Amino acid sequence: MRTPPSFIHAIEFSAFGEWMRSNVLAMPWVNAAHVLCVTLVFGTILVVDLRLLGLLDRHRSVTRTADELLHLTWAAFAGAAISGALFFSANATTYWFNTAFRFKMLAIVLAGLNMAVFQFVTYRGVARWDRNEPPPRAAKLAAGLSILLWATVLVLGRLIGFTKGFDVAVPDNIDFDFGAP
Amino acid sequence: MSLLEIAKAIDSTSLSTSIKTISWIVPLVQCFHILMVGVVFVSILMLSLRVLGRARTDEPLAMTWSRFAPFLWGGIVVLIITGVLLVISEPVRELMALSFRLKMLLLAIGIVSAAVFGRRVRAEVAVAGSEPLVSGGMRMASVATLVLWVAIIILGRTIAYDDSVWGSWSPAVLQRGGAL
Repeated sequence: MRTPPSFIHAIEFSAFGEWMRSNVLAMPWVNAAHVLCVTLVFGTILVVDLRLLGLLDRHRSVTRTADELLHLTWAAFAGAAISGALFFSANATTYWFNTAFRFKMLAIVLAGLNMAVFQFVTYRGVARWDRNEPPPRAAKLAAGLSILLWATVLVLGRLIGFTKGFDVAVPDNIDFDFGAP
Repeated sequence: MSLLEIAKAIDSTSLSTSIKTISWIVPLVQCFHILMVGVVFVSILMLSLRVLGRARTDEPLAMTWSRFAPFLWGGIVVLIITGVLLVISEPVRELMALSFRLKMLLLAIGIVSAAVFGRRVRAEVAVAGSEPLVSGGMRMASVATLVLWVAIIILGRTIAYDDSVWGSWSPAVLQRGGAL
């Protein structure tokens, strides 16, 4: 088995990691919370993206559609990050070497970058295309990328559960409990 | 014929065997399932928030309904198709889980109540030709609906942990004579 950086080892043997592994109800509840949060993140972002693509809700302003959901999206993202961190602590070494996990983190970073570029460049001129006007090409591009990237995040997240022992040699009789696929 | 026998019968069908043999089918089906959970859950959420006056108050309720109903029903159809495939692939694990049975019960209630809600919104619009009145009862019902769908999602995830969540209440545990 490969050795991870020492901070990964520290996370795995932190109080959080120990708690996740020792409490038989921790994994199901944290798992359920994670699923609730990621579906909320994906679904609320999808509503805003479909407006940005100009496909739906054309009678409503972009800002109104985005503003009424933004706090919910962020709260759900925070919940997903916290529950995800707890997962990670339970089996930090295995996650660290897991390819699906690494690609998932990359997809989250890319989705974040896409969001930042949209927020600080395209969205600045939103007053011009907030209503009626078809959204500019840059906004449509950001929305399309956003749907694609967040769907990828969910798909890779689900696939982690099927890649147990794929990147790290895991003896068959040891259950690392990746969340029972 | 007990549920366990039905489950075992499904398990021995050629369709079940094919799904199990081709390793990428279950992960792929689960990916579609989870994406559609997001679509359906947020459609319910948006309708509930509209009824509660917390979102989309700039449009009539009937408009919010017609905006999200296709996503709600389309999503539910995909969830049922993918869900049936997942049950066929692992019938004993699913049918012998208390979480699964409770989920199916709540799902039936959720689907019927969404249909009733949609009918009512459309009926009121047809009669009055205007905004349906959001009553206190409708507000209560929308909160109950949200709780219901949250429970459905949680139960969906806890199928995998039926032993640890339900202990001796789990049919699978009972089947084994109560051994955890």
